Amino acid sequence: MLALSLTNGLVIGIVYALTALGVSLVVGIMNVVNFAHGEFYILAGYFSYLFAHTLGIHPLAAMVIAVGLVFLLGLVVEYTLIRPTYGDDMYSLILTFILSIVFQSLFLLVFGPYPNKPPSWIKGATEVFGLFHYGNQRLAALAAGVVVIALFFAMLKLTWFGRMIRAAAQDREMAELNGINTTRLNLLSFGLGCALAAAAGVILAPVFPVTPTAGTPVALTAFVCVVLGGMGSMSGCVLGGLVLGVVENLGAAYVSTGYKHVFMFLILILVLLFRPAGLFGRREV
Amino acid sequence: MFKIENLDVFRGETQVLWGVGLEVAPGERVAILGSNGAGKSSLMAAITGLLRPRRGNIIFNDRALVGLKPYQITQLGIALVPEGRRVYKGMSVRENLEMGAFVRRGRPRLKESIERVFGLFPILGQRSAQGAGTLSGGEQQMLAIGRALMSLPDLLLIDELSLGLAPRVTKEIYAALASLGSEITVILVEQNVELALRHSERAYIVESGRVTGHGVSTELIDDPDIRRAYLGM
Ligand SMILES: Nc1ncnc2c1ncn2[C@@H]1O[C@H](COP(=O)(O)OP(=O)(O)O)[C@@H](O)[C@H]1O
Ligand SMILES: [Mg+2]
Repeated sequence: MLALSLTNGLVIGIVYALTALGVSLVVGIMNVVNFAHGEFYILAGYFSYLFAHTLGIHPLAAMVIAVGLVFLLGLVVEYTLIRPTYGDDMYSLILTFILSIVFQSLFLLVFGPYPNKPPSWIKGATEVFGLFHYGNQRLAALAAGVVVIALFFAMLKLTWFGRMIRAAAQDREMAELNGINTTRLNLLSFGLGCALAAAAGVILAPVFPVTPTAGTPVALTAFVCVVLGGMGSMSGCVLGGLVLGVVENLGAAYVSTGYKHVFMFLILILVLLFRPAGLFGRREV
Repeated sequence: MFKIENLDVFRGETQVLWGVGLEVAPGERVAILGSNGAGKSSLMAAITGLLRPRRGNIIFNDRALVGLKPYQITQLGIALVPEGRRVYKGMSVRENLEMGAFVRRGRPRLKESIERVFGLFPILGQRSAQGAGTLSGGEQQMLAIGRALMSLPDLLLIDELSLGLAPRVTKEIYAALASLGSEITVILVEQNVELALRHSERAYIVESGRVTGHGVSTELIDDPDIRRAYLGM
């Protein structure tokens, strides 16, 4: 029972972490909180359902196309909605909030209120550590999440684009003096942030089907992960995601499923009480 | 090579520079003197594109800079060592230097530029893998200068080189700068007037946002008014 809850927690936690990385990136570079983050996650889930289930494309190819499309849509949203609000964070907050509602209505209109589920990538179950049988699809989701997160961190560390992101997150003006076109960096970061939400969406959708409004708790959880890990810390928000995932599942197993969000906020309050800057917080006020 | 004409700069609604003009010849070292709040850093911000002047011209190698973005100005060959150094504390010494070579003009020669900076400031070579946040103030200033040099600038702007540094470290950094010779033109902002005059050929004096005087550094050092106003004697 314990091992099973822990594994469930890890699977969910990795997906939370992936979603939260996108939020953290966009907050760190642009100082924008994207309230529609969860809807990009859901949209990618719908896309992969559409391509794989309805059009019959191979599930993995469908996932890649879905993430790519959401990335492009992210670019369009940044260019048309976010860019005009530079310098006034309140406007982007309101705009993305409206955007999330527009998305939810469109989802409802196009896909209906019912859960939609892209096909699984693999079938069957595996015996884990000789303790319990666990769905292969969930194990694959865990592995895929780990791989995407590892790729993201390798990108941050090893590529020019990653260095641009780290430099601009620390000192935007200085980065600009070093030759970074921060307007273009904003565009790409926002797109990449949406793509990370999309990656989480396509990875988890075969396990937890998407519905028009399921994006709200996804975004909420991601925001909590970012605050938990410490604003501006990428590794912190991964840890935040894992902690949330595990605690939520332990709580569901030993207390009650209904209190999922209560556990989340309990942890948040406890961490903020004892470490106001978050688990990995390093940004001075 | 570099010329500013009649520059008016605002920060928000407050005017901080009034009709500033100056001229720098290739290979020259020019000091900008002035007390705290005179507008020296604002002038650096206007040159590098961080502040957009309301009036006036900035001409660099026959190109007008007003209206260009900071990244475009860096690409044209101007590099700033900002007040307070502003190294990327969460990145290693080497990564900081690499960021300096981010612009197109710096990137092809990244490896040899790093070796050159390590030759100039050997301590940076020894600490290349260390986080920049673990460096002392003097080492951070060396890193900030090294980072600026990585873009292979024609014009190097240094804002408050000696601020908060021990005299020994300041001397070491000035010696390193002197070893660059006249291949690079330097505009030096200093509150320490004596240091500035000793390490420059000419100087401009900025007071309350206006240029109130300029001259040859060796003459200014002996000027009784300057000595009274800035050297406290
Ligand atoms: N970020 C800022 N925002 C608003 N006003 C500023 C800012 N930085 C400096 N100032 C004001 O601009 C004027 C010139 O300052 P500055 O250029 O920093 O002078 P200096 O570098 O000679 O000390 C001062 O009156 C200062 O208060
Ligand atoms: Mg200053």
